[in-house]
Amino acid sequence: MIVAERKPLAEIRTFVEDYRRILILGCGTCTTVCLAGGEAEAKVVASGLRISFLREEREVEILEDCITRQCEPEFVEAVEQKVKDEAIEAVLSLGCGVGVNLVAQSLETIPVFPGVNTKFFGGVVEPGMWLELCAGCGNCILHLTGGICPIARCSKSLLNGPCGGTRDGKCEISEDVDCGWALIVERMKKLGTLDRLAEIIPARDWSSSHHGGPRRVIHEEVAVLSGEEETSDR
Amino acid sequence: MPKEASLDTETIIHAPCTAACPVHTDTRQLVEFIVNGRYEDALELLLAANPFSSVCGRICNHPCEQSCRRTKVDAPVGLRRLKRFVMEATTDYRQSRRQQDAPPLGKERAAIIGSGPSGLTAANDLALQGYRPVVFEKFPTAGGLLGNAIPRYRLPYSVIKEDIEDIVAQGVEVRTGVEIGKDILLDDLFDQGFAAILIATGLTESRTLGIAGIDSRGILLALPFLRTALSPQPPQLGARVVVIGGGNVAVDAARTARRLGAQKVTMICLESRDQMPAWQWEIEETADEGIEIMNSWGPRSVFDKDGTVRGLELKRCTAVFDSEGRFLPQFDETDTATVVADNIIIAIGQRGDVTCLEGSQVNLAGEGRITWDKETLLTSTEGIFACGEVVTGPGSAVEAVFDGHRAAKAIDHYLGKGELLKQPALELPHIGDLPDEVASKITVLSPSAVDLLAPDRRIKDFSEIERGFTEAEALAEARRCLACTTGALADEEKCAACLTCVRICPFGVATVDKTAAMPQDECQACGLCAAQCPAAAIALTRFGTNQMKERLQTLVPAIKDRTPTIPVIVSFCCLFEMTGRKFVREAEATYPEEGVVPIMIPCVARLSAADLLSPFEVGADGLVIIACSEGSCLYPTAEDRLLARVRQAKSILAEIGLEEERIDYWKTQGSAEVSWTAFWTLSQKKLSEILKD
Repeated sequence: MIVAERKPLAEIRTFVEDYRRILILGCGTCTTVCLAGGEAEAKVVASGLRISFLREEREVEILEDCITRQCEPEFVEAVEQKVKDEAIEAVLSLGCGVGVNLVAQSLETIPVFPGVNTKFFGGVVEPGMWLELCAGCGNCILHLTGGICPIARCSKSLLNGPCGGTRDGKCEISEDVDCGWALIVERMKKLGTLDRLAEIIPARDWSSSHHGGPRRVIHEEVAVLSGEEETSDR
Repeated sequence: MPKEASLDTETIIHAPCTAACPVHTDTRQLVEFIVNGRYEDALELLLAANPFSSVCGRICNHPCEQSCRRTKVDAPVGLRRLKRFVMEATTDYRQSRRQQDAPPLGKERAAIIGSGPSGLTAANDLALQGYRPVVFEKFPTAGGLLGNAIPRYRLPYSVIKEDIEDIVAQGVEVRTGVEIGKDILLDDLFDQGFAAILIATGLTESRTLGIAGIDSRGILLALPFLRTALSPQPPQLGARVVVIGGGNVAVDAARTARRLGAQKVTMICLESRDQMPAWQWEIEETADEGIEIMNSWGPRSVFDKDGTVRGLELKRCTAVFDSEGRFLPQFDETDTATVVADNIIIAIGQRGDVTCLEGSQVNLAGEGRITWDKETLLTSTEGIFACGEVVTGPGSAVEAVFDGHRAAKAIDHYLGKGELLKQPALELPHIGDLPDEVASKITVLSPSAVDLLAPDRRIKDFSEIERGFTEAEALAEARRCLACTTGALADEEKCAACLTCVRICPFGVATVDKTAAMPQDECQACGLCAAQCPAAAIALTRFGTNQMKERLQTLVPAIKDRTPTIPVIVSFCCLFEMTGRKFVREAEATYPEEGVVPIMIPCVARLSAADLLSPFEVGADGLVIIACSEGSCLYPTAEDRLLARVRQAKSILAEIGLEEERIDYWKTQGSAEVSWTAFWTLSQKKLSEILKD
């Protein structure tokens, strides 16, 4: 899941400062689950902004909405209509960066601002705490490392760890950070496959990671068929 | 063909209390009205379900309490006493309500024979439905056995009178001292213009025993005895009284005899203590009053001297019922005992008095029993219906009320549509027992105890032995209700299956399969999941904050306009700390002028972060949250969850440049009356300082 965190209201205020009709748009999927931008958080942000504008006796209309997923054009379509009907001047998206992109792309002439900072791919490790567990590097090697990702969990993203900075299971950069490789070693022990770590993982091809422009995944089976667009109404 | 009656409640899953109540009183709504200080609404609810609510507040056998799910945690909610509280707290309102014009009566007349709870309930309903009911009562006092047999230490006549006055105010005419079958013949009622007749004569006579010596002087039948005991010339009893029987009438007779001066009262009954048909609490109170109960004995013969009773010979009862549960007592004739007695009161059962049928065509099914159809309530004669104990056999007052309602429906249908209405017996579906694992997590709250008069004081006269709840006791008792079936509901469309509800539910009942679900038979309606749901997908069936927000929207700006120099504080207060509504009503009326807007919330931990910010949105300068007193929260973890949300709201204020100190959190100390105003003063003072800076 994509994990995000709401931006401070003071920062959000600077984005929407100049508008009189603002839509706070929650996202009903990842940012709801990580408590950063669901319908409830949209209400809190809206409330905070209303209070803030009220103190300055400024008449600003703040509307709230939440859609199923901001990263799907079909769901975003409803927002387009709402923005028109309600004469919205600016949208604050509480979706992750993907949501902001797609909402902005869809609304074209209406500014769309990010209400959350998109942090990482992660999961709940204890109620209320999310941890980065995957770096989205595009070439998964979890089968070699006992299901624990060294790219995400090792501070140096080492492929053959641990390094000399491991201290009683913690990373030298902070006592709050587990050493990813210490975790891998412990897991491999439990699996009885510790000996596999003796094999050196060769230097990897990073071209699948954040290089060469935005990455794509294509599923031809649901892709638009050639000619389909011409026959459609659009 | 008789038409099948439909009940719109069939598909709803009820709380066990409501399902168990013969008239299906919405007890949870009743309790909620009480908790909110809405006693008049509670009264309306009660009277709509049961015109004998004052009576039932005293003597109901309260099947609601017997089925209360709280029993698994500690003890059932005292619903019968709560009902009594409502009736006592609203006497003035009830008086004024009675003086309002009743809806005009129609022309069609119905005759009801018998003014007990079933007859008068039917009459009341018929009047409300636009008929002109006339009730005939053979005794000089209305109320049936309630007025003419039940001892006053359980049920003062003034209480019965309250209920009957309401019924009369609806336009019901009650003619006492008129015996149908003697003074007027049943069939003549049709000639007098009555379109339908209801026989609701109850079981007013006692059965007797066929044993040797039963005709001796000093032997009394229970119901005539109880009737005379209510008269200005109560019966003279000897020092030693034996009561034969183990039911409620026997208990009434024994306790009445004790109060009439009998030194030694002994009850003889066939049943073992557990099998006795009298209510358990009545049996305990009887024993407390020094009445000996000899269980598993049957009467063998009366011995007398010169025709005056001297005692009773007993034989051991070895079994009361046969293997199929039918009454078939077995005795061991070799195991005998004797009790001396100056009087013997026979309370082995009741029968109907069918004098009213004299000269009519209505068939009898046996001694004192009228032939009737239990679904249409019709007797063997067209236009003549029967209800209540005369046809159903002995039961409780509230069951009689229920049958009265049915009779009114049957007659209304017959007169209105010209056909019979079938009303089959229905059992309302309910949520069942409280699961053990949930029960173990519920906070134990002892019931508001009401001590009865001391036994030695009780037996001196017929003073009522139980007092009603004080307001504080009633409010404390009402908050013990588990609010069954009013729990959280998740909106599948909105739910993101985030598991927040599962993680924070203090009772471990929330589940997520594809979406969240809070099983109604387990959910305790604490609302913590709803307050925390990031998708705003969860709502409580009976709690929302929209109304409160609308109120603030109009109230706060108006106060700011009126008193621009005083800082305005909204105070969310735990309603459960209320010990009397007077204080809250006064606070709600007077404090806004001083800049404080108290808002009562049934558990402030139900407020979400957005709810906590809402006062500031409408211009309030500060917020004071007053939770319940230390250790008295009903819901585990609720306070910590609330405090986390308070911190969240404070940080939002800080993010937009407002002082966090504008939000104060207090816990009630002592009581609302003692501490809340002090908190408001302190917070307001602090806020003035902040605003000065």
